[in-house]
Amino acid sequence: MKIHIPKDEYMDSGHLACSGCGSPLGLRLALKALGEKTIIVIPASCMSIIVGPFPYSAIRVPIVHVAFETAACSASGVRASLDIQGDEETTVVAWAGDGGTFDIGLQALSGAAERNDDFIYICSDNEAYMNTGVQRSSATPYLAWTTTTPIGSLKERPKKDMMAIMADHDIPYAATACIAYPEDLIRKLEKAKGMKGTRFIHLLCPCPPGWRIASNESIKVARLAVETKVFPLYEIEHGEMYRLTYQPKEIPVEAYLSQQGRFSHLTKGGMTAIQENVDHQWNRLLEKCEGGAN
Amino acid sequence: MKRVISGNKAVAYGVMLSQVRVVSAYPITPQTTIVEELSRFCAEGEMEAKFIKVESEHSAMASIIASCLTGSRSFTATSSQGLALMHEMLHWAAGGRLPLVMVNVNRALGPGWNIWTEQGDSLSQRDTGWIQLYCEDNQEVLDTIIQAFKIAETVYLPVMVVLDAFFLSHTSEVVEIPHREEVDQFLPPFEPKYPLNPRNPQAYFGMCSPDYYMEFRYKMQRAMEETVGVAKSVDEEFGHQFGRAYGLVEPYRCEDAEVVMVTSGTVTSTSRVVIDRLWEDGIKVGLLKVKMFRPFPMEDIKRVLKGVEKVGVIDRNISFGHGGIFAQEIRSTFCNENGRPTVFGFIMGLGGRDVTPEAIEEAIHVTLDNARPKEEILWIGLKG
Amino acid sequence: MAGKIIFKGESDLPLFPISSGDMCWNRTGTWRYIRPKYEDKTPPCNAACPAGVDIPVFIGLVVEGKYEEAWNIIREENPLPGVCGRVCFHPCESLCNRAHYDEVLAINALERFVADRALDLESRVPIREARKERVAIVGSGPSGLSCAYHVARMGYQVTVFEALPQPGGILRMGIPSYRLPKDILDKEIADIQAYGVEIKTNARLGGDLSFGDLEEYEAVFLATGAHISRKLNTPGEDLEGAVSGLDLLRDINLGKKVRIGGRVAVIGGGNTAVDVARAVLRLGGNPIILYRRSRDEMPAFDEEVSGTLEEGIEIRYLTGPTEIIGQKGRVTKLECTEMELGEEDETGRRRPVPIPDSHFTIPVDAVIAAIGEEPDLTFLPEGIRVEGKIVSTDNGARTSRKGIFAGGDMAHLYRTVAHAIGFGKRAAISIDCSIRKKNVDSLLQGIRVGEDGALSIAKYLSEVARRRADHVVAFEELNVAYFEHGERNERTKLAVPERVRDFREISAGLTEQGALKEASRCFSCGLCNECENCYVFCPDLSVIIDSGAVKYRINYDYCKGCGICIAECPRNALSVEKEAR
Repeated sequence: MKIHIPKDEYMDSGHLACSGCGSPLGLRLALKALGEKTIIVIPASCMSIIVGPFPYSAIRVPIVHVAFETAACSASGVRASLDIQGDEETTVVAWAGDGGTFDIGLQALSGAAERNDDFIYICSDNEAYMNTGVQRSSATPYLAWTTTTPIGSLKERPKKDMMAIMADHDIPYAATACIAYPEDLIRKLEKAKGMKGTRFIHLLCPCPPGWRIASNESIKVARLAVETKVFPLYEIEHGEMYRLTYQPKEIPVEAYLSQQGRFSHLTKGGMTAIQENVDHQWNRLLEKCEGGAN
Repeated sequence: MKRVISGNKAVAYGVMLSQVRVVSAYPITPQTTIVEELSRFCAEGEMEAKFIKVESEHSAMASIIASCLTGSRSFTATSSQGLALMHEMLHWAAGGRLPLVMVNVNRALGPGWNIWTEQGDSLSQRDTGWIQLYCEDNQEVLDTIIQAFKIAETVYLPVMVVLDAFFLSHTSEVVEIPHREEVDQFLPPFEPKYPLNPRNPQAYFGMCSPDYYMEFRYKMQRAMEETVGVAKSVDEEFGHQFGRAYGLVEPYRCEDAEVVMVTSGTVTSTSRVVIDRLWEDGIKVGLLKVKMFRPFPMEDIKRVLKGVEKVGVIDRNISFGHGGIFAQEIRSTFCNENGRPTVFGFIMGLGGRDVTPEAIEEAIHVTLDNARPKEEILWIGLKG
Repeated sequence: MAGKIIFKGESDLPLFPISSGDMCWNRTGTWRYIRPKYEDKTPPCNAACPAGVDIPVFIGLVVEGKYEEAWNIIREENPLPGVCGRVCFHPCESLCNRAHYDEVLAINALERFVADRALDLESRVPIREARKERVAIVGSGPSGLSCAYHVARMGYQVTVFEALPQPGGILRMGIPSYRLPKDILDKEIADIQAYGVEIKTNARLGGDLSFGDLEEYEAVFLATGAHISRKLNTPGEDLEGAVSGLDLLRDINLGKKVRIGGRVAVIGGGNTAVDVARAVLRLGGNPIILYRRSRDEMPAFDEEVSGTLEEGIEIRYLTGPTEIIGQKGRVTKLECTEMELGEEDETGRRRPVPIPDSHFTIPVDAVIAAIGEEPDLTFLPEGIRVEGKIVSTDNGARTSRKGIFAGGDMAHLYRTVAHAIGFGKRAAISIDCSIRKKNVDSLLQGIRVGEDGALSIAKYLSEVARRRADHVVAFEELNVAYFEHGERNERTKLAVPERVRDFREISAGLTEQGALKEASRCFSCGLCNECENCYVFCPDLSVIIDSGAVKYRINYDYCKGCGICIAECPRNALSVEKEAR
């Protein structure tokens, strides 16, 4: 089966992402859907390094680097300015990491989402503060190793349910996406682009150094996250209409976790606990999908 | 058109007349009525602007940085805690060379909670790269906002227009509200040098290595230096058109004065009254109102104070561990000069305590009666 | 814009950090310590095909609906796709990696589908410039036809001598038309003749044709097959009603009136035995197959055995004939003994051993021996070495006599159509080398499919043919995440009562829809089929799509060597090398 993606590129080689990084691939694919009439706001994150230092940029659309916690409100500002100038054509996009979204930027995001400000917010989630060298964020999964959740003090709390938070803001569109599923990602961005208001994309982008995987494994591991239901692909319209966009295969979480050095310490009990949690979340999601379909 | 309006309403008129296109603000006492008034202007179509009702001052500043970068004249207003929360973004605005205008209503910072006037909030932002202009009355507030956009859009530095909590913000005075057409003539539409839009696929504010960072900071300092002249000519032009000018500093009855008191904000108005009375008594005391704090107009100040034996500086603020901030600035202005004045630094009116004519008079007498200050920090009105 | 931007001083700089240059100056290729490269490898089916057919390539063309191109790809190596698509034992399918995923690909059915779509087409496989040298080919079976076709394509003047009145050898005489309709064979022979191949029938070497007649040819390829049926070596073989299987089939196929009926015992477990039994059934007889070993040891193709059983023909295993008994010179009974399996013999199969005192007789009207065939080598002139009943040849199909080549069943024990086609091709290459004075031995390794597969004439003829690594792709080397599970699409067969009425073809080809579905199941192991995963997933935009013949290119200026392109290639068409430092 051939993966069909638009051939236009809005990004150049020479960017500074680590070898095998999922994030520039995510941005590259996203831009294919967004097109040239796009302005991207990038708060402190790996991406603020990846795109290149002054006086360079590896991205062919305008980008604004903004402070860590200001992705959403900066996007609001750009949007307001374009609106008052009569430019309704340009798509404003915030591209933030999980730290900038789940943690430090959550207030601004919540504010903008509540106002239903008109932009697409993409959270490129690599499940920890990777730019500073692998410290836990509230997106770090249960029992994962990071430099601030070392062995002996592993993360004891589950990952924050960002999609539920966004859905509860009653925004027009929220969707998960994954770099291993480019067509799904592009379709969701195209759909988001055709809507107004705050649109949220939760994009899983594995980090080879942070997840302790080889550089050639990032797509494979991303795919396993979806196939094992750790990271289901779905979308939510108006906070209520849940819809699965991909039916995962019945694969145990072990297939996903055992690929990654950050879970290499896991005991059988830990593995079971994660599986139970994943099953629980999955069933909850299915219930929402059934409820929303009516 | 003359109207009796509060300082905050004067702010709103200034913003409306300046054809601001994006407002983003978060309410805080004593700034709140600015937010309310601007909301009403936007709602009623008096202003053709987008008002982003943000969830924090931090977001307010971040969003107008973005909107200004995208080419729209943008404004916010805050006070105290709100300004402190914005601090990070003030650097971003100045470093981004964005011609923003912000009003700060001077208010003390907690704890304990204090909503009354003090300059500590704005002076704490001294080194962020913002131009700071302190106003004495509501007319000056309105006029300064219009001037501020013109200055900002000339030198590409943001401007903070400062007024005292309650003494201006909630006190009504007669204010001449200029005609829109006249203001339009004075302040043409904002034409950004580097507008952010998809026609210019550039990156703004990318990582800046030691190779260039220092040069950008040098350029900011040069812009600050340029601001002194620009602000003067903007003020002169304004005076020409509207009949009102303020200067960066205003000497009041300084000729032949034995001592000169240095003030800012509403303390100046009270001081004028005290000084007029003292002159009647034959006491030769002058007044120097400092409107522009950043850039600090050193040459203008020197011109007034050179040859004056003793200078008393009234600070409604304190830099803990050193003293009043205006006093420090005056001292440093003269440190390389021969025949420099002896500086008496008074701390008065913190947290909104009334700076009464009596307190000002006391400070003047301390300055007159002593060859040198007994202490580096002279507290007036402190309960014993 | 590319290139570094240097600001000499603050006056050159913009007001604030605003970037207008791109990052192309930053050659991230220097980060790389491994280097991906496009490298097609050998698909297992291709390596397993004795005729060397480029299977995934023709199947890929089927997916695109390019049936004629697919046909020509097969015919590049094998001029008889319609024949092979029906009668080949398809070793390609036995090694298909799809077996480890769900079900093997129906390659044989697809080959037939392609050939059937081409029934109205003329061959367009390119021909090399004409040469004056003449080549004689003796025998028009699969080996002879294959050699004739390839030699003709290489520009030579080819004459095929066939002893029988019609060409095709075993294809015509040995295979019943319910498996291989004559019109299919005729069409493919005609396609070969279209290359200027002259076929002279009724020209038996050792009969009207002598070796002396062949001296005017630059080269002679002997491919007379193996058509002498082995004797049972039991008493009663001379009785009327005791015949050889191959003779019977030949008579049927020549359209002779064959009188056979009643209870017919067919002795043997090979394809001939099975073909004979099924032919007898169609002629109105009641056949029973007697085989001295068990089903597992039967050399007949599994499909044929199944078909036989479906048609209600009894196969009696572990049964050996001991005597044909007759009355008035005519067969009436067959005495047999029960067997058991003993030690393994030299073929790896367990040897049948008679069980003492287990004799029994069955009443029969005819006994047909089909226990194997041997070549007739009586016509061979002096100087051609024979070893163990076959002509001795070397790697280049050369006999011990200069200018005389041999192949097919007369020279090999691999007696399948596909092998015969492969041997014919080998001889063609060797003949070309011999005429052009090239050293064939040094060439052979380079033109194999994989390390030890068949020879590829495409590789031989085209210097610039896209090279493939010899490495045969294993299932574990594929990334099957990109493949959907899907059932094998089978050919439909006529219902038994209908099919046994006459010699009509049993099997219908795949429908177009079925063929497309089936073709799209192909993993295309080791061969880039432009799925573009490498392009899609490259985080560094270092996979360049070019318009030229080589469609994908890695931009080593920027490739960081992450290896994602290799990992996400579903079919192992990229390889990794260590970066030279």
